[in-house]
Amino acid sequence: MLTDALKKGSAEFLILSLLEAEPRHGYELQKLIESRSDGVLTFNVASLYPLLYRMEERGWIVGRWVEKAGERRRRFYRLTAPGRATLDAQRESWREFVTAINRVSGVRYA
Amino acid sequence: MHDWRADIRARVSSARLHPQDEAEIVEEVAQHLEQQFAELAPAVGAGPARERLLAQLGDQEFDDAIARRRRRARPTLTRTWSATSLWRDVRYGLRSLRRSPGTVVAGAAALALGIGLTTVMYSVIYGTLIKGVSFEHSARIAGIYYADPARENDQIPFADFVHYRKEQRSFEALGAYFIGTANVSGGDRPDRVDAARMTAGAFEVTGVRAMLGRAFTPSDNDPAAPPTAVLSYAMWRDQYPADSGAVGKTIRVNGRPYTIVGVMPEGFEFPLRSTRIWLPLQTDPDTLRPGQGPGLTVIGRLRPLVRFEQAGAEFATLSHQLATELPPGAAERRAVVEPFVRATLPARVYSLLYAMLGAVLLVLLVACANVANLLLDRAVGRTREIGIRTALGASRLAVIRQSLVESSILALLAAVVGTGIAQAGIVMFNRAFTDNPPFWIDIRLHPPVLLFVLALAIVASLASGLLPAMQSARLDISAILKDESHAASALRVGRLSRTIVAVEIALSSAMLLVAGFMTKSIVQVRAVAPRFASADVFTARVSLTSTDTLRQRQFFETLEHNLATVPGLSGAYLGNGLPGTGWRGGMRGGPLAVEGRAYARPQDYPRARSLAVSPGFFQAFGVAVLRGRAILASDRAESQPVAVVSDAFAQRYFPGAEPIGQRIRFREGGSEGEWMTIVGVMPTLYAASIVSASEDHWPPEVLTAFWQEQRLSSANIALRGSASVASAAILRKVVVALDPEAPVYATATMDELLARSNWSVHLFGTMFVIFGIVALVLAAIGLYAMMAFSVSRRVREMGIRMALGATSADVIRVVCRQGATQILIGMSLGLLAGAALVRLVRAMLFEVQPNDPVVFALVAGVLGTVALVACIIPAIGATRVDPVIALRTE
Repeated sequence: MLTDALKKGSAEFLILSLLEAEPRHGYELQKLIESRSDGVLTFNVASLYPLLYRMEERGWIVGRWVEKAGERRRRFYRLTAPGRATLDAQRESWREFVTAINRVSGVRYA
Repeated sequence: MHDWRADIRARVSSARLHPQDEAEIVEEVAQHLEQQFAELAPAVGAGPARERLLAQLGDQEFDDAIARRRRRARPTLTRTWSATSLWRDVRYGLRSLRRSPGTVVAGAAALALGIGLTTVMYSVIYGTLIKGVSFEHSARIAGIYYADPARENDQIPFADFVHYRKEQRSFEALGAYFIGTANVSGGDRPDRVDAARMTAGAFEVTGVRAMLGRAFTPSDNDPAAPPTAVLSYAMWRDQYPADSGAVGKTIRVNGRPYTIVGVMPEGFEFPLRSTRIWLPLQTDPDTLRPGQGPGLTVIGRLRPLVRFEQAGAEFATLSHQLATELPPGAAERRAVVEPFVRATLPARVYSLLYAMLGAVLLVLLVACANVANLLLDRAVGRTREIGIRTALGASRLAVIRQSLVESSILALLAAVVGTGIAQAGIVMFNRAFTDNPPFWIDIRLHPPVLLFVLALAIVASLASGLLPAMQSARLDISAILKDESHAASALRVGRLSRTIVAVEIALSSAMLLVAGFMTKSIVQVRAVAPRFASADVFTARVSLTSTDTLRQRQFFETLEHNLATVPGLSGAYLGNGLPGTGWRGGMRGGPLAVEGRAYARPQDYPRARSLAVSPGFFQAFGVAVLRGRAILASDRAESQPVAVVSDAFAQRYFPGAEPIGQRIRFREGGSEGEWMTIVGVMPTLYAASIVSASEDHWPPEVLTAFWQEQRLSSANIALRGSASVASAAILRKVVVALDPEAPVYATATMDELLARSNWSVHLFGTMFVIFGIVALVLAAIGLYAMMAFSVSRRVREMGIRMALGATSADVIRVVCRQGATQILIGMSLGLLAGAALVRLVRAMLFEVQPNDPVVFALVAGVLGTVALVACIIPAIGATRVDPVIALRTE
């Protein structure tokens, strides 16, 4: 299990990257994070939505009620331009961070 | 399924978010939890799954989510109801109404008619029953009378009045009067005017001071005092061309000199509007026993803070005391104290006027129903607009308010137009009203009436706006915004508007039924054949000032003789009354006895209306006896008393027997008259009454001989001939030649008299007919609008039907079947309610039974036809639908 601080920091990055490909709704995001992290990162409504709403407040993502044929109206979040810039910046700093860790720990990338 | 939304809403509510923000967070999280639950429940069971998920909601972190949704302030109630927002609603309402002028005109017109009619009726009630007398402290003015369950309420004998005046403590002023006529001479020709004999107290009660001189003081009522008189403004103006020196002069009244002591101000018209002169009551109470003396109308002004009930209790005690002094056998009578108007007008006037108010309120209700339907149709057309307003944060209350603001604008507009209609209606009403209404009646738009109009407008706007408003507020926003074509179904107006129309039809058929009975009454009144000539008959009254009975008899005998010599007259009649309106014996006729029959109780005596007629009666009125003989010139005072009875009299009191040869006698005031031998039977003549239209118009009647009357101080005259000969001028010429002081008055043609007696049937009947027609028109418009609307929504269906081979007739049948249900239900309920209403206005029915099947059938027929036409027009429109176009329209 990761510590809360690390989880929060990484969660925002994860959500941004998950939204890069296509808009998704809250539940889908929770499932994807869980499965992609092999259950290391778990969320529930009490932890996910404060995050989503904060990101929305910052203008990184935007939620829209969308209706798809044969489905209920749901709130889908998509990446905004500032969100994309944030994702790129985070990706860059993550890469730098990982490189630094590797150098320090001597672990080599395959 | 578990309702997550309720849990979330409960968790979120304390944050008081903007409704839309709240709705969004609730929806989003609920969907999330539902999905999670669906996944979790099969694994761990429904109960534990639910608990685990609910625990998530309890997490403190969730507060952060809620806080972040606070994007804007929640609208507060003060903001919703501020003056600026109301003004905004008004402007918005005006703008949106301007876009649909049809709705405005139709709605406002319907309400204006309803409000106008109701206001006319309320002005009548206010001016007649509520306003009271127009004296100072009018709320404390009382009328006192003897209640008599067996008879009409009665006046109070002078002796009793004196007793009450002495003993009572409730009134600060108490007076009495009786009205009559007086011969007044001094001007260019002798005149007969309405006069009142008053006590000084009666002037005191009114609180009106004399314009010149003084009103009566108690000393004027002293039997020994020299006679005095007070003139009305009109008499002073006409007889003494506004001469301020008139006071102190002498005026001859009934041949005796009276000193003028005062002139009353203009507008003081009491007790009758036509009262011209007041004379003092100078009866000596010391010579009278309880129950004796002239019958008086008693009027009083209560002391401040004394209630009518207290005064009533005091007078009940006093009348009980008086009863101990009555001669044995005389019935005890109970004195009743009531507000003056209530004591004066019979209860049936109250019930008639309030029944009419009820009737117009029904009409107003029909108008409101119409407007409600109109606004409902409009609401359907505006579903999307309302949906957007709601989505943008308008609360339900705000949507309802917007709707009500629009109906209020319509109602206020209608109130303004309706007041105009009412004003016109009041003018017409006053014109058709009786010539000499009671003095206090003043029918116009008094300020309280205008307040009533305002109240009506508010009620009308609520009645017509609330239903559509609530209906729009109940809309499901998401459904509307999704798809407009389903919007109308979201507004479930179909059933509601059909119910409204059924109610409209019910109300208007009730009204129409009453109108039907009134119409029949009016037709009957017009068509009545009185069985005596009225077309070219001129009537008048002549009174003598002389009290010498021999000279009186001589005068009238000479008058009869001289009239017979006037060329061109085909008949001249003298008598103590006139057929039709002028029968003696009151409403029910006077009591009489048949020789050889015994009557145990006073109510067992036969009753008949009577006239004492000169032989000229039969010629002047074209009446021929059926059997026996008429009253002849040979029937004089010294010969055997005779009578001619009507067919109705013979059939009722001598069934199967011959009345000719039998003897009858009248009972007057408990004493018996002379036996009279019945010498002839005549057809029953028409008897009109200005009191009630519903009484017997063909009652038992008795004609006696005018020349066998004891006293002949005055006579009714009827002259038959062309208008140039049978006229007031000719009669005056003949009369003045005999006695220059004898006035000829109350001149009218017989036709006028008969028409005058029917004014109440005509006036109130016509009003009911107007109410009925307006109600019918409104209901027909309502039905038409509903059918047209329903057809417009079914264009596609009609297109499909026709494409599949339905004929025009089929389409019409389909459309009309829908309307027919409402018509049938509404009509059945309405006719039942109307039948009850008709009984309330029975007094206005002229020879129509309240269950007359012809009227019911006719009303049902008229209503059914009009309603069907209102259905068929839109139905025909539906047949013009081009299937190709219809199928393409969405």
